[in-house]
Amino acid sequence: MTKILIVAQSEFATLVRSKAFIVTLILMPVIMGASVFIMRMTRDATDTNQRRFAYVDRSGLVGRVLEAVAEVRNQTAATDGLARFEPVAVSPVGRSNDDLRLELSDRVRRKEIFAFVEIPPEIVDPDSSSEIRYYSDHPTYQALPDWVQVTVNQAVLSERFRAAAVDPALVARLTKPAALGSVGLFERDDSGAVRAGEEVDEFRAVGVPAAMMVLMFIVITASAPQLLNSVIEEKMNRISEVLVGSVAPFELMMGKLLGGVAVSMLLAAIYLAGSLGMAYYYGYARAVTPVMAAWFLLFLVMAVLIFGSMFIAIGAACNDLKDSQNMMTPVMLFMMVPVFTWGAVLRAPEGTVALVLSLLPTAAPFLMLLRIALQPGPPLWQVLLSVTLMVLTSVAAVWAAGRIFRTGLLMQGKSASISEMIRWVRQG
Amino acid sequence: MTDAIVLDEVTKRFGGIAAVDTLSLSVPSGSIYGFIGPNGSGKTTTLRMIMHILLPDEGTIEVLGSRDTGAARDQVSYLPEERGLYKKMTVRRLLRYYGRLKGRSLAEVDAAIAEWMPRMDLPGVLDRQIETLSKGMAQKVQFIAAVISKPSLLILDEPFSGLDPVNAQVLKDAVLEMRSRGATVVFSTHDMGTAEKMCDRIFMIFRGRKVLDGSLNQIQEEYGADTVRVRTAGGAGVLSGIPEVDSVNDFGQLQEVRLKGDPQAFLKHLSARSDVYRFEVTRPSLQDIFVRIARPQEQEQADRRQETGAA
Repeated sequence: MTKILIVAQSEFATLVRSKAFIVTLILMPVIMGASVFIMRMTRDATDTNQRRFAYVDRSGLVGRVLEAVAEVRNQTAATDGLARFEPVAVSPVGRSNDDLRLELSDRVRRKEIFAFVEIPPEIVDPDSSSEIRYYSDHPTYQALPDWVQVTVNQAVLSERFRAAAVDPALVARLTKPAALGSVGLFERDDSGAVRAGEEVDEFRAVGVPAAMMVLMFIVITASAPQLLNSVIEEKMNRISEVLVGSVAPFELMMGKLLGGVAVSMLLAAIYLAGSLGMAYYYGYARAVTPVMAAWFLLFLVMAVLIFGSMFIAIGAACNDLKDSQNMMTPVMLFMMVPVFTWGAVLRAPEGTVALVLSLLPTAAPFLMLLRIALQPGPPLWQVLLSVTLMVLTSVAAVWAAGRIFRTGLLMQGKSASISEMIRWVRQG
Repeated sequence: MTDAIVLDEVTKRFGGIAAVDTLSLSVPSGSIYGFIGPNGSGKTTTLRMIMHILLPDEGTIEVLGSRDTGAARDQVSYLPEERGLYKKMTVRRLLRYYGRLKGRSLAEVDAAIAEWMPRMDLPGVLDRQIETLSKGMAQKVQFIAAVISKPSLLILDEPFSGLDPVNAQVLKDAVLEMRSRGATVVFSTHDMGTAEKMCDRIFMIFRGRKVLDGSLNQIQEEYGADTVRVRTAGGAGVLSGIPEVDSVNDFGQLQEVRLKGDPQAFLKHLSARSDVYRFEVTRPSLQDIFVRIARPQEQEQADRRQETGAA
C-alpha cells in the first residue's frame, strides 16, 4: 500500500507539472469564456448589413405596407443590432414574367440587390393557394424571408378584414395573445409560510447542469489520457524495468490510477471553487448544491478509474505514441458518446433514450450527472443502478488493465493488437 | 559462503523459441559475477528473470534465499542497459523516487544522495533535469539510482558500455566499492578485458545455454595452453602454411596463434622462415575463448547465406 502511495505521489507531481495540465488549467476557462462570448455576440448581432431587395407586387395591396413597416423597422435597426431592409418596388409592366425574373436574377448576381420577392395577384383571396416567392442566392440567410413572410401576411390579413368590413383595430385588440411565464413550484419556507416558487431561470435550469457536464468532460480529458503518456514514456525509456524491479506491476498501475484521480480532483476542486464563486457573485449561490458537488466528485472518480484503466492498458500494449493514438480512437469515441447525445437527454431527461444512455457506464458519469442536475431529477433507483453499474465496470476495467499492464509493460518490439490484449486478459 | 542467486534448470521461451534453456547457476554472496555472451544469447533475459521482471516457464530461481523473488525486491537493485530515467525529472526527484520505492525513508535516501553525488563526480547537477545531462552523467545518475537503496544484490546490464575511460573508471571503482560493502554484483558486458580484470567468476551464455562458468583461471585451464603469442619480422604472412597452426588472431604487431601441434615444432618452423622477436606460450584470453565458442555460429550463418544466395 505504501508503495502505491509513493507511485501515486510521484505521478501526481509529474502530472501537475505537465504542460497539458497547465494549459488546461489556464486555457480551458479562457476558451470556454471566449466561446460563450462569441456565441452571444453572433446570436444577438448576426448581421447589420443593409439588405436591399426588389419586390413585384402584382396584388397592388401589399407593397405599400411592406415599405412602411420596413421604414419603421429601419429607424431602430442599428441600435437593435439588426440589418436594414430596403424594399424597392419593380413594375412588371411591359415584360413577360420570365424576362422580369431573369432581369432581377441578374441584378442579384451583380449584387445590386440582395434578393427579390414576387407577390401574386390573388394573395388576398383566402381560397387561393398561391404563394409569395422569394428568390435569392443566399439560401441560408433566413432573417429577410422570415420578415417578408410575417409582414406580407400582416398586410394580407388586415386587407382581408377590411374587405370583410371588420375594424382592424378591433381585430388587433381581440387577437392579442396571452403571455406565458414559467414559474417553479410553491414551497413552505422555514418560518412555515407558503412561498411562491422563483421564476424559472433558463440559466439555472439548463445552464448549470450543462456546465457541470462540460466540466466533467474537461477534467477527464485533461487527466485520463495523461496516464497513457506516462506509461508510454516509462516503457520507451525502459523505466518500467527499473520500477517493476521495485514494485509489483499491479501496485504500479494502481499508483498511477490514484495519481490520475488526485489530479482530476485537484482540477475539479479548482474549477468548482471558481464556478461557485462566480455563481455566488451573480446571485446563483443556490444553483450548485453541496449534494450536487458530491455527486460530481463520485462520478468523476468512477470516470477516471474507467477511462484511466483503458488508457493505461493501451499505453502498456503499445510501443510508440503513434500506435497508441490509433488505439485511443475507440476509447475517445466512447468518451464522445455523451457529447453527441446530451442534447437528446436535455430535451427529454425522463425518456427511454436518456435512461439507457445514462445507465451506460462509460456515459453515465456525464449523462446521469446531467439528469441529476436537471430538475426534478431521475428516480433514485435509476441513480443507484447507474452507480452500481459504474462501480462494477470500474472494478472490471482496473482488473483487466492490470492483466494487460503486467504482460504489455515489458514487451518490446511491435505493439499488441486488440485480440492479443483480450488474450492477455483471459490468460492473465 | 551462501549463494546470492541460485538458478535451477531454468527455461524461458518466447514464441516457442527457448531464449534461456535449462540453465543452472549459482552466484556466491559477495562476489562480482560477469555475464558474457554474444548479442541475443539470453543474458538480459536471465537478468530479467533474476529481477522477477520475467517469470521462468520452467525451473526455479532463488534470490537472497527467497523462492519468491518478489519478496527480495527491496534488497535487489537493477540497472537496465538503456537509460531507465525520466527525462523531465530533476536528478533529486528521480533519486528520491527510486530510493523510496525500495522502501527507504526520505532521510536515508537524502543521506545516500549526499554521499554518492561527489563520489561519482557529479557536483551541482541535483536540480538539473535528466534530459540536460550528458550520456556519461546520466549513466552515473542511473548507477546512483541503483545503489541508493544500499542493495545486497546489484544487477547491472552493460554498465560500462559507451562510457569514456574516465567515467568508466569512476563506475568500476563504484562497483568495487559496493562489493567491499558486502554487496553481490552481477553485470553483463561485451568488454572481455573488464570481465577478466574485475570478475571473481565469469559465466558465458550462448544460444540460451551455459557454455562457461567459473573463475578466469578455471576457464583458461579448461581451454588449455595451446596458444602462443608471437612477434616476427615477417608478420602474420609467415604463419601461413606452417602445419602446427590452427588459427591466427592478428593484432598487427602481434599475432595470437592457436596450435594443433607441438609448440617447439612450431617454433622450429617459424624461426626457419623469419626472425622471431617474441615467442610466448600462454593460455587463451577470454576474448579468444569467447570467439572460439561464438564463431561457429557466424560461420554457419555465412554458409547459410551462401546457400540461399546460390539457390
